[in-house]
Amino acid sequence: MTQATTATRPPATPATGRRRLADREGPLASLFLLPAVVYVVALVGVPFVLAIGFAFSDVTAGDPSYDWAGLDAYRRVFDDPVFWQALRNTLVFTGVSMVLIVVFGKVLANILIADFRGKWLVRFLVLLPWTTPVALSTVSWLWLLDSIFSPIDWLLRQVGLLEGNMYWLGRPSLATASVIAVHVWRLVPLAAVIIMAGLIAIPRDIDEAARVDGAGFWRRMFEVTIPLTMPLIAVAALFGAIFTFTDMAVVYVLTRGGPTNSTQVLASWAFVRGIEGGDVAQGAAIALFLFPLLLAAAVLILRAVRRMQVM
Amino acid sequence: MRSYPLWTRRDVLRMTGLAGLGLAAASCAEEPESPGEDADAAAESPSPAFTEPTARLSGSLSILMWSHFVPSHDEWFDQFTREWGEQVGVNVTVDHIDVAGVPARIAAELSAGQGHDLMQYIAPLAQFEPSVLDLADVTEEANNRYGEQLEICRKSSFNPTTGKFYAFGPGWVPDPGNFRRSMWEPVGLTDGPRTWDELLEGGSEIMATQGVQLGIGMSQEIDSNMAGRALMWSFGASIQDENENVVLNSPETVAAVEYMVRLFQGAMTDEVFSWNAASNNQGMVAGKLSYILNSISAYRTSQETNPDIANDTLFVPALEGPETALAAQHVMYNWLVPQHATNPDAAKEFLLHYTANLESAAYHSKLYDFPAWDGLVPNLKAWLEDDPFGSQPADKLAFLADSTDWATNIGHPGPANTAEGEVFGLPIIPNMFARAARGEVTPDQAVADATAEVDAIFAKWRARGLIGGGG
Repeated sequence: MTQATTATRPPATPATGRRRLADREGPLASLFLLPAVVYVVALVGVPFVLAIGFAFSDVTAGDPSYDWAGLDAYRRVFDDPVFWQALRNTLVFTGVSMVLIVVFGKVLANILIADFRGKWLVRFLVLLPWTTPVALSTVSWLWLLDSIFSPIDWLLRQVGLLEGNMYWLGRPSLATASVIAVHVWRLVPLAAVIIMAGLIAIPRDIDEAARVDGAGFWRRMFEVTIPLTMPLIAVAALFGAIFTFTDMAVVYVLTRGGPTNSTQVLASWAFVRGIEGGDVAQGAAIALFLFPLLLAAAVLILRAVRRMQVM
Repeated sequence: MRSYPLWTRRDVLRMTGLAGLGLAAASCAEEPESPGEDADAAAESPSPAFTEPTARLSGSLSILMWSHFVPSHDEWFDQFTREWGEQVGVNVTVDHIDVAGVPARIAAELSAGQGHDLMQYIAPLAQFEPSVLDLADVTEEANNRYGEQLEICRKSSFNPTTGKFYAFGPGWVPDPGNFRRSMWEPVGLTDGPRTWDELLEGGSEIMATQGVQLGIGMSQEIDSNMAGRALMWSFGASIQDENENVVLNSPETVAAVEYMVRLFQGAMTDEVFSWNAASNNQGMVAGKLSYILNSISAYRTSQETNPDIANDTLFVPALEGPETALAAQHVMYNWLVPQHATNPDAAKEFLLHYTANLESAAYHSKLYDFPAWDGLVPNLKAWLEDDPFGSQPADKLAFLADSTDWATNIGHPGPANTAEGEVFGLPIIPNMFARAARGEVTPDQAVADATAEVDAIFAKWRARGLIGGGG
C-alpha cells in the first residue's frame, strides 16, 4: 500500500501553482462547473429576476424606464377573462398531452426494443419529430391542417369520409385537438426513448421467470414491466408536461391563440400582451404564473430520479 | 428635383433590340419571370434622384425593415441604399425580416438600448414614442419640399397630445376590395359589390349557387383587424372619437357586428377564424374566394402564378355602409429613429433621400406603395390608368388614383395613438366580431366585452399622458 502510494506521487520536483490547482479536486470542480453556472445564471436567473421586477412595474415595450407600480399589472391580469381562459387551456393541454405522451411513448418503446429488420432506420425516423425545431415542424402541421388545402381533408374526401373541409384550426374543439395532437406528436419520441432505456435495463430473467409462472402479456406488462420502469415513466411524463406547459411555438404558429382565444395558453398570451400589445409588465405577470407549476414539476423530476438511483 | 433619363424609351428599345438580336430565338421561347421584367416596363423605370446631404456624413447606418410583399421592391431598395451610401460616404446595411417579427425585434432593441439606427414597420408604432427621436424636422423638411403631407400619413405618425412625430410616414398602401368577375357576373353584379348590402346579398348567392365563399377575416391577425375597422367606420362606429375618447359601445358598433353575423352565416365558413395574414391572399390566388379586402399584392402574385385568375380579378373601392364608405390603409409605413441610434443624422438624411425617390419605390413595388405627398409620384396616375405590369384590362387599377377619398388611418376619426396601437396589436376587434358570428355571445355582449378591454387600455395610456380625452 505504501509502495503504491509512493509510486503514484508526482516526481519530487518543485511544484508549480498550475500543478497544484490540477491536483486539487475542489477548485477544479468549481472551475469546470463555472461555465454551466454562468450559463444558468445569465440565461435563466437574470431573466427570471427581471420578470419579477417587470411584473411590479409600468415598463412597456416603448418605455423601458422602471417605475414601481405595485400590483397594478396583476390587477389587470386578474380582470382579464382571457387570462383565466389561457390558464385553463394551459392546464388542459398539459394534462391531456401528458397522458397521451406516456401511453403512446410506452407503446412506441415496446416496438422499438423488439427485434426486426430495419430497426435502426425506424428508430431514426421515429426520433425526427423530437429533433426537428418546434417552429419548423409546426409550420408543416400548419399546412397539413390548412383550411383549404389540408392533405388530411383531401385523404378523408378520397376515402369518402368527408365532404367539404374540416376547418381544423377554425373550430375551437378541432383547434384544441390539433394543438394537443402536435404536442403529442413531437414529444412521444422523447418519452419513448426514456422509457426504452428503462425497458432495456430490466433483467431478462425476471421476465422469463414471470413467463414460467404463467403470466400473460398484460399481466407481465402491468405487474412486472410498468412497476419496474415507473420512475422512468414518471420522468417521461414530467418532461412531457414541462415541454407542453412552457411551449408557445405550437399555439402561436398554428392558431395564434384563436379562434376567439380558445387555444390561448399562458406562454402565448404573455407574448401577445407583453410584446405585441406592448404591455411588458402585464406580460411578465402572466409569464410568472408558469413558475409555481414548473417548480413543482422540477421537484417531482428530481425525486423520481433519486428513486431511480436508489433502485 | 426629379432627373430625367439619359436615354429615351425609343433609344432603350432600339439598343435592346440590337443587343438581343443574337438571342432572339431563345428569347421568343421564354416568358418574362414577372410582368415587370419586359422591355416596356424596364424602359419606364424611374431614374434615381440624388440630393446632396445638408451636412457631411460618415460612419455606418443600419436599417431594420420588413420583407416587402412584392420581392422586386427589396431588390431595388437594397441596391438603392448601397448606391446612396457610396455617394455620401456611409456604410449602409439593410436587414429585411418577416413582417410578423418586426414589432418584437423593435421592442427588444429599444429595451436593450442598442441595435439598428433606423427601423421601419407597416403599421403605426405609437407605442414606442418614449424611446424614439422626434422626427418633426424630417417631416417639416419633406413638407417644405413637396407640399403638405397626406392627413392619413400625418395622423399615423404624429401624437397631438405630446406634439411629437414619433415616426416618419412617407408612404402607405390602399386596401381595396378584390373580387372575381366571373363569380359576381351571374348574380347581377358584374362590376362587383359597391355596398355592404350588395356584398351580403351577392356573396350569399354565390355561396349558395357556386359554393364559393367570400373572405372577410375574423382571426387573430392584422388583416382581420383592418377589415373589422372598415366595417365599423362604414356603419358610423369607431373605437375612439376625434378627441381620443372611447366610443366603441354604440348602437352603430352593434349594428356592424349584427351585419357581420349575417355575412358569416350567408357567405362564409369557419375558415375565416383560422386565417393568418397571408390566408386571404392564398385563397384568392387559388380561386377559392369570391371577394377579399386586401392590397393588390394577391393580384400581383396571381399574375405570375395563375394569370387566368389574375385577369378575372377586379377591384372596388371601400364599400358604402349606412353612414359612409371607408377602409383602413392596408400598410402605413412608419420609420423610427431610436434614441440609441449611433448615426441619427445619416438616418434622417436617408429618409429624405428615400422620400425623394418614392416614384422608384412605387414603380419597383409594382404600384403597391403610394406616396404621402400628392404629386411626388407624377407618373402614378398614368401608370394606374395603363398598368406597366401587364394588367388585363390595363386600367383596372385606375380607381386607386382616388383612394385617399375612401381610405383612413387606424384610430379614425382620431389619431393613431398608443392606445389604438395596443388595441391593434391585440385581437380585440376581430374577436368581437368572431364571438358574435360563432354564436358564443350576443352582438351587444360582444361589443360590451370588447369595450371593457379597450377602456382599460385607454385608461392606462391616458394616465401616462400619452393620449388625450377622458375629460
